[in-house]
This record gives sequence, C-alpha cells and structure tokens, in this order.
Amino acid sequence: MATTKKVLQYKEPEKHYDVVIVGGGLHGLATAYYLAKYHGVKRIAVLERRYIGSGGSGRNTEMVRSNKRAHETLPFYKDSLAMWDDLSAELDWNLMVQKKGIIALAHSDGELASMRMQSDSQRRAGIKIDMLDNQQIKKMVPSLDVSDQTALPVLGAQFHPEGGTVHHDAAVWGFAKSAARCGVDICVGIEVVGFNVEGSKVTGVQTNIGDINANKVHVAVGGYSSEIARMLGVKFPVVTMPMQVMTTNIMAPFLNYYVASPRLHWYTQQTLKGDLILGGQLDPFSSWNSYTTWEECSERVATILEYFPDLAHARVVRSWSGLCDCTGDSAPVMGPSGIDGLSLDIAWGYYGFKATPACGKYSAEYIATNKVPENIKAFSLDRFFNRQRVREVIL
Amino acid sequence: MAFLIDCPNCGRRNPYEFRFGGECKEAPGPDADLNTWCEYLYFNENMSGFQQEWWYHNMGCGDWVKVRRNTVTHEITED
Repeated sequence: MATTKKVLQYKEPEKHYDVVIVGGGLHGLATAYYLAKYHGVKRIAVLERRYIGSGGSGRNTEMVRSNKRAHETLPFYKDSLAMWDDLSAELDWNLMVQKKGIIALAHSDGELASMRMQSDSQRRAGIKIDMLDNQQIKKMVPSLDVSDQTALPVLGAQFHPEGGTVHHDAAVWGFAKSAARCGVDICVGIEVVGFNVEGSKVTGVQTNIGDINANKVHVAVGGYSSEIARMLGVKFPVVTMPMQVMTTNIMAPFLNYYVASPRLHWYTQQTLKGDLILGGQLDPFSSWNSYTTWEECSERVATILEYFPDLAHARVVRSWSGLCDCTGDSAPVMGPSGIDGLSLDIAWGYYGFKATPACGKYSAEYIATNKVPENIKAFSLDRFFNRQRVREVIL
Repeated sequence: MAFLIDCPNCGRRNPYEFRFGGECKEAPGPDADLNTWCEYLYFNENMSGFQQEWWYHNMGCGDWVKVRRNTVTHEITED
C-alpha cells in the first residue's frame, strides 16, 4: 500500500549552524547524514539553490565500480563500492543496487597490456577483477560483435564482477530522508552568494535570504566549484565540461552486463526497466550549459551500433547532460581548503556518483575530527604544488 | 548549442573542426618560482560567462585562434 506520509520536510534555514553544507547533491546529503548519524553533530544545514539532486547526482549513468588504477585511490573506491551493499538496509530505502558486472573492451595489444597492468594493481588492493578472451565475452554478451569485421575488432576485455548500477534518484532521496530523520535541515531555494571570512577562519555564508553563521562550512557543489572559487577569490585546478547521456526505447531484456569501450568512448547498460543507457565522453570543450548535441549523439550511436548491430531498430528517446569539473589527474580534491573551517569535496569530474558513500563518510570524519582520513590524503589540494599528483589513468 | 568560430583564415566554421586549447593565461616569467608555475599549469579561472580562449583549427588551416566566448550561452563576441 502506498504511503501517504510525507517522506521529507524541507526547512527554512535558521541563523546559526554548527555545519553548513553548500550543495544538496548526493555528496552533500551523504556528508550531512554521516555527520549527524555517526559523529553526533546536532545542527547541520544543507543549502541547495535548485532542488536536491538537480546536478550531477541525478544526471549520471548510475554506474558504480572500483576499477581505477592509482594505488593511492584504490582503497577509497573499494570502500565505496562495498558500502553500497548495506546502504539500502541502513537508509531504509531501496536503492536498487544491482551488481551486474562491468565488461571493458580492449581493441589493441597496447590496451590489453595496460588493462592487465591495471588488473594487477586492482588485485593487489583486493578488488576482484578478471581478464576475458573473445570466446568468454561472446558467451556473456551474445549480441556483441566480437568478430574481426568491426572497425576496431575486440581483442579481449577486463571484467569487474562487483561493478554495477545503483539508482541515483533513489540514492538522493534515501540520503535526504535519512539525514532529515537525524535532524539535518535540508533547505532548497537557498543560493549561497558569498562567504564570511574573519582572518583566516570562515564564520558563515551569505545567501539570497541573508547571512547564515556557521562554525564549519563544507563545499560539495559538483560541477559548479569554480563559482565557489570566485566567491573566495581563489582558483581551483578544474575545467568544467558537460557529459552527455542518452536513453533508448524500452526493449526485451538482452544485455545482462555493463559494457564499455574506454578506447572508443562508449558504454551502455540495460536498466531494470528495459531501456538502454548510452554514455560516452566529455564534450571536447569547456561549457557550463547542460545541452545535448547532434554531434555527440550521432558519434555515440554510430560507435555503439558498430558493436551491437542488432540495435539498428532502437531509437534514442531522451538525452541530457550534466556538468563535470575535471582535474588534470582524474582525481578529486577533498579535505582542507586553506581557510580554517572550510572543507572541500570538489573536482569529481565524471566519477563522483560511485564515490558517494565513501565521500560522505570520510568528509564527515574530516569535518568532525579535523584530521584528514588516510584514504583521502592523496586527494589534497596541496598535491598540485608538491608534485604529488595522483597517477590515475582515464577510465 | 549551435555556434560558429570565426577563423581569420577559413571564415566561420563548426567548432568540432577545432581542438579546444583552454582559457588564455599569462605565462609566468623565466625567474618565477615553482608555485607560480604550478598554479599556471593546473589552476584555472574556469569562467561561467565570457572568457578569452585558444582554439586550434586542426581540420582547417592549422592556426591557433583566440576567441572570446560565453561558456554558458556560447555567444561569441569581438573583444
């Protein structure tokens, strides 16, 4: 029976909080939840200028995985992937976690070698990973063309069995509801327009409805981080680019895995509903506009059709895009900002969704204890000055 | 999204003929310290609005073109 009880009550912000979180996306809501639930912080506000989950949180392709490369970051992503399993029960909200496995195709010997190397570092970090040959791929995904008749024939693949999908809107509402039940004030329509800084310490935020005082301020604004940088008079090491995503009409189930081609920049999965989600690469130039373009759509469809010829009858029915603030080393910036009391959770590019639980947990730990947790030490803003950039490969 | 880039050699062309070269930044002097160089290399203004930027016409004349573009509306104006 459908419930008639309201899931979430938005609040008007008060004048003073212990922690103010700027940005009501997944990372902000998760941080608020972990702060309230595990660190006993009482007065927390999440300020969102549009509606919760309106940015990258609701615009991604729902993929969760931990098949990254750099050894500094693997424990973080492994943690995050494992945390999704228990979240549905913990948040009392069905996040539709479906760990169906991710197949990443290789089209050249060089790519195969790089995937083997990557697999080795992942196994060393305790992440399950396998290499597949074409026969195995054909067995798992019969509709995929692994013959030598394609433009760039498939030579093998990396299989990440623990990767899969989580429904992003469910995650937004799950975290929002649970945070609100722990006493967090979730305020929508509140736009932060500036920061109050005294000496080297942040004392609050300026908003469209007046100042809100806070002992600590946490920035989790997704692709819009450079707007925060301008309010603070600094720069962040990011460029904002949109990522476009498309869905097709609903089809009978035929694809049980998440299939990706890192080389040709496409990935696709069939959702529980039956439609295919098609994604690809970032737009080739910086943009703050979440448009969709004919160029991206046609290129994505053409490359996917090359390997799934049976999809010729499918139609693209919807497309959208979200903003990604990308660093040069494919790793985020988390932790201290250089201003006392102001912490960062930015530069998540196109890999922020899968990191949500770990991000919330470690951001909350940093805000509560003022000590940078071991797993996010590699993501400091200082790394760009200390020649300690994360050695991540793009995937 | 439609916008065209005014190439001084080839005229108004589709932006997908170009390679985006990022925002225009002032390079530090030869005696600048390491931190200044790091900031120049990695940190960006990343403007949401008009910015001066480089575009490389790789499917055309092969020249670098300076363009003033609004990154929200994609409007292109003369300086």
